[in-house]
Amino acid sequence: MKQFNIILVIVILLGAVVLSTMGSGTVRDLKSGFLSLVSPFLKTGDAVGRQIGSVGEDLKTLDRLEEENRTLTLENRQLKTTNQLLRDLEAENQKLRQALDYRERSVFQLLPARIIARDSSTWWKSVKINRGFEDGVESDMPVLTESGLVGKTTTVGKNESVVILVTDESCRVAAKVEGTTEKGIASGFRVSDAASLGDIQLAFLSKSANLQPGQKVYSAGVSGGVFPSGILVGEVKSFRVRPLDGQAVLAPAVELDTIEDVFVLVGAK
Amino acid sequence: MRAFATFLGVAAAIFLAFPVQDFLPPLGFAHGARILLVPVIFCYGALVLPFPGAMALAAYTGLLCDLAYSHVVDGRVEIAVGWSIVIFVIFGLFAQGFQPAFRRGQWWLHIPFSMVATSLYLALQFVMISFRREGVAFGEVTAWRILGSGLAAGLLSPLVCTVGWWANVSFGSRPGQGGERFARP
Repeated sequence: MKQFNIILVIVILLGAVVLSTMGSGTVRDLKSGFLSLVSPFLKTGDAVGRQIGSVGEDLKTLDRLEEENRTLTLENRQLKTTNQLLRDLEAENQKLRQALDYRERSVFQLLPARIIARDSSTWWKSVKINRGFEDGVESDMPVLTESGLVGKTTTVGKNESVVILVTDESCRVAAKVEGTTEKGIASGFRVSDAASLGDIQLAFLSKSANLQPGQKVYSAGVSGGVFPSGILVGEVKSFRVRPLDGQAVLAPAVELDTIEDVFVLVGAK
Repeated sequence: MRAFATFLGVAAAIFLAFPVQDFLPPLGFAHGARILLVPVIFCYGALVLPFPGAMALAAYTGLLCDLAYSHVVDGRVEIAVGWSIVIFVIFGLFAQGFQPAFRRGQWWLHIPFSMVATSLYLALQFVMISFRREGVAFGEVTAWRILGSGLAAGLLSPLVCTVGWWANVSFGSRPGQGGERFARP
């Protein structure tokens, strides 16, 4: 091998080592830049896919009616989701009325977004949405639908963001079980066997929890956390006792493989 | 000059492959294994480019892969940016070893090379995640996803070779004028 080639390989490997020492902020910025670069292609692909998918529908319905229906459906879903959050707020408000030194709770704003692509990564479960920092989206913002929790934003580009799904192992949600005092950490399973594919595990429950199938699990809303309380995470499918804790397997509240429209909880109004 | 033009063409194809593969459906029979175009195109580039070009392509592909795939969750980078560069440099070095045979017309070498590179890349990614998340959970789906993507890469390989050969001929390379390096499938 020529001396130049050896030096070239060494320089590239040293460059890789230097890159590996970058902090999370720099990596996030680089990823955001890359996301913005590929964004036009993602949007074109999404538009082409939708055009192809809607060919049959266009033959049956008028464009205007379709548009109106889309707007109303979106509005309806937005209202349902807001309602779900308000129910929880109402309960909390009742408790706070009884206390003298209560704190005001923030009111959240729902930003409608559309899934434009599903990531081709093999080990992570994530999607890309058509909202970015120009729309007020930041990293670590909850993403949900009227049915429940979808995940949270990670990398945020100019007009698009990556959302890590609640079924991914690295997306952790403090959760509580309906009708009990049980609390645990909900996260996805690692890709390993077909039985758990697409499910959520709720770990660190007490061994005596004895949860029943069908019980609902909501986000607990811990202080300083990403997710506010009261968002439906999923339903219990099974429960088992492990040596150190109890673990429940949950069916996600949202059909994550088929959803197209979501909302980003962009913070206080 | 021709090698530089080839480098630019392959680099552009790799960049475009990232959004394109997001729209390719997962393989149902292989438990959701993904069709990955990037390693297949990289393998082609590493087989046709001279050594410096192949190494530059490895650095470029590795960096883009890390930016595309790794996630920053809770302020933590799960897989450090840069590790894919090391992997692609190793793939590039192996490709350079196969290059003489590839130039003699044994284009089919690209098929097993793409299969092995794709599967190995995913397997190493899984190992990195397992270290990071503490604990190995290897199962049937893991194996299917690694091997399924490799299989898809092998099936795509002749297509990538054909497009590569066609692009080179279109831009003036002819057998006997240095174009023999771009073996025809």
